Amino acid sequence: METILNILFSGVFHASTLFLVAAGLQVVFGVQKVFNLACGTFYGLGAYFGITVVKCLVEHNFPKALFIVPLIAAGLALGLVVGPIIERGLMKFVYDRDETFQLLLTFGLVMMLEDVIKFIWGTSPQSMGGIDMVYGQLNVLGATVPVYNLVVILCSLIIAGLISWLLMNTRFGRIIRATADKREMGEALGINMKVVYLKVFTLGTVLGTLGGALVVPAGAAVSEMGMDLIVLAFAVVVIGGLGSMKGAFVGALIVGVLKSLAISTYPEMEMLTIYIIVIAVLVIKPQGLFGGSRV
Amino acid sequence: MGKTRREFVKLVGGAAVGAGMLLAGRGKAQAQAKPAKGVPSGPVRIGAMPGLSGVIAVPGTAAWRTTQMWAEEVNAAGGILGRKVELSMEEETTAKDCVERFRKLTLETKCDVIVGLMSTGNGLAVGPLAEELGQLWLAWDATTQKGVVETMPRTKFSFRSTDNEAEAIGGAILTAKFFPNIKTVVGINNDYSYGRDCWDAYQAVLKHFNPNVKFVDALWPKLGETDFTSHIAALKKANADLIMTSFWSGDVPILMKQATAAGLFKRSKACFTTGGGAHYTLKKEFTPEGIILGYNSFYFKWTDTWPLLTKFVNAYYAKYKEYPVYETDHAYFVLQAYKEAVEKCYSILGRWPTKEEVGKVLSGIQVPSLSGFRGYREDNLMSCNFFMGLTSHKNPYDFVTINQMEVLTPVQIMKPFAGAKLYDWIKGWKS
Repeated sequence: METILNILFSGVFHASTLFLVAAGLQVVFGVQKVFNLACGTFYGLGAYFGITVVKCLVEHNFPKALFIVPLIAAGLALGLVVGPIIERGLMKFVYDRDETFQLLLTFGLVMMLEDVIKFIWGTSPQSMGGIDMVYGQLNVLGATVPVYNLVVILCSLIIAGLISWLLMNTRFGRIIRATADKREMGEALGINMKVVYLKVFTLGTVLGTLGGALVVPAGAAVSEMGMDLIVLAFAVVVIGGLGSMKGAFVGALIVGVLKSLAISTYPEMEMLTIYIIVIAVLVIKPQGLFGGSRV
Repeated sequence: MGKTRREFVKLVGGAAVGAGMLLAGRGKAQAQAKPAKGVPSGPVRIGAMPGLSGVIAVPGTAAWRTTQMWAEEVNAAGGILGRKVELSMEEETTAKDCVERFRKLTLETKCDVIVGLMSTGNGLAVGPLAEELGQLWLAWDATTQKGVVETMPRTKFSFRSTDNEAEAIGGAILTAKFFPNIKTVVGINNDYSYGRDCWDAYQAVLKHFNPNVKFVDALWPKLGETDFTSHIAALKKANADLIMTSFWSGDVPILMKQATAAGLFKRSKACFTTGGGAHYTLKKEFTPEGIILGYNSFYFKWTDTWPLLTKFVNAYYAKYKEYPVYETDHAYFVLQAYKEAVEKCYSILGRWPTKEEVGKVLSGIQVPSLSGFRGYREDNLMSCNFFMGLTSHKNPYDFVTINQMEVLTPVQIMKPFAGAKLYDWIKGWKS
């Protein structure tokens, strides 16, 4: 039982951060039809920025137990600043271009932002020390689980709920869904697509930066951390269905738990197991598990 | 035409060296670079190939910084036999690129010597090229090993680093010494040749000293992994007395932190054979005492009685606000060995030596380096001590250091000659 719970908790923890990055990828693709490779790098940026903000506050006697508040604020704030700059400064020039240009641009962004990270924070790994341990550990039926990991899972669930509410119950959500289906119709009805794109790209960026900020107290930030995650995010979107938020949620859970299970049983089969599922989905249901339902 | 990323880094590096030299020249009158009799007047061109991105960025940056610091200091003292040192940097990336850049440094830049490279994959590609071009290559960490087998037992121009598996052998020796009663071991190593070789060598040595030990599982996260929560669940499942890992970069603090948070070290002891590669990231808050920690061949707190070490650590910290990692001494040693070999040749020949002549003197050389005397064996493999011990919180830093430090000598942890078979050599040990 203890082993099963350990595998389950670690898988869900991994899935929770994977979901945030994949959700950022999905929302941007769903509306803007841009496959944003840089979403993993936003995750890295969020991690580094989160460390800087929290370290600075703790040095000025901010209570350690409350570090989660400025951490989330840092992730949000960074995304809200970086998102619009990149959307207005770069992305708007490629919306009407071939997908290859869009991919090249976002790949270029990955390279540039990694150098920005190295320029600002250097090449050494950065961490918050053991700040996450202030929340202690929980013993669940013999399995020791860091409480902070549960906080991250909870935050991801709340964010998933908020996105769902935003899409289904707000005017902005309806606009997103409408424009994801038919951009031209949205424009014909007087929707300002420039503003929609700006908001959607910013939302995608915020999901990435927030994910990075949330996960970093449980580990450390290294400059290439985004690249590591983006590869798994691809698997998530293929399994869940490109452009589907529900797909991102379920896909992340499948990939996270499967990865954890494979490592505990046949460690050398870790990636093979995940990509067998990816290939199976591509062959049997190429649109993904929830590919029909947009955003 | 825009500059490439590599050119830009080179430009910044050059500017940094230039600025450093200017600053160095401020306080003290810089020694006039006047070449000795029979020595060419132009600069000594040293090519450097550090890895500045990806997983090798931590040690690569440290080695590149050290190279620049060494050049500043040597130039401030008048250069090598009066010739100023001029650095040309080409970044270490893929094997294909490294070969092209090595060729460029040799044929276009006309470097007198090339230092650097950390990846064995790159070393395997560059080693034969150095021999073919007749170019001196003094590796920092890259070996020319395939697995644990040396592919170039006899070289003239390639001077390689220590055997890859040396720290795993040291880790196993200390495991047997500090934890003689362990019965089960689980390994977590990166899924590439270094990780696999370390795990194999560690098992062979530990089995030699403790024949009853059982190796219950082996995990193989890929190099660059940044989340080990799933691996920690697997380590818990293995329920072993000891966890062995050869992680050496940014993954070290992540594994340590997540393992501590999950309570893994309450049950298991651990041996981080190469974890000192990112030692200052191992904060006391999440790194328990009593874990075997290897610092490779340089420990910044080895002793207070070796002025070269004290001076360097202070200068490095003053400049970069970090305590140096092992790659700094690989970088320092190869440069110092080259300088002393050239000077020794000159004292015999009365002229600037050829690359081949320098190579002959480098074979078997011993020079004072940051971690004591370090040298090249007759087979042109680097020979140096390794530093390991048990983690301790008793220090003024926010990260762990080691107590009960053991200095493992090359005789203990390196095959006696390049062509020797590792496992036959281990089998021949006395228990």
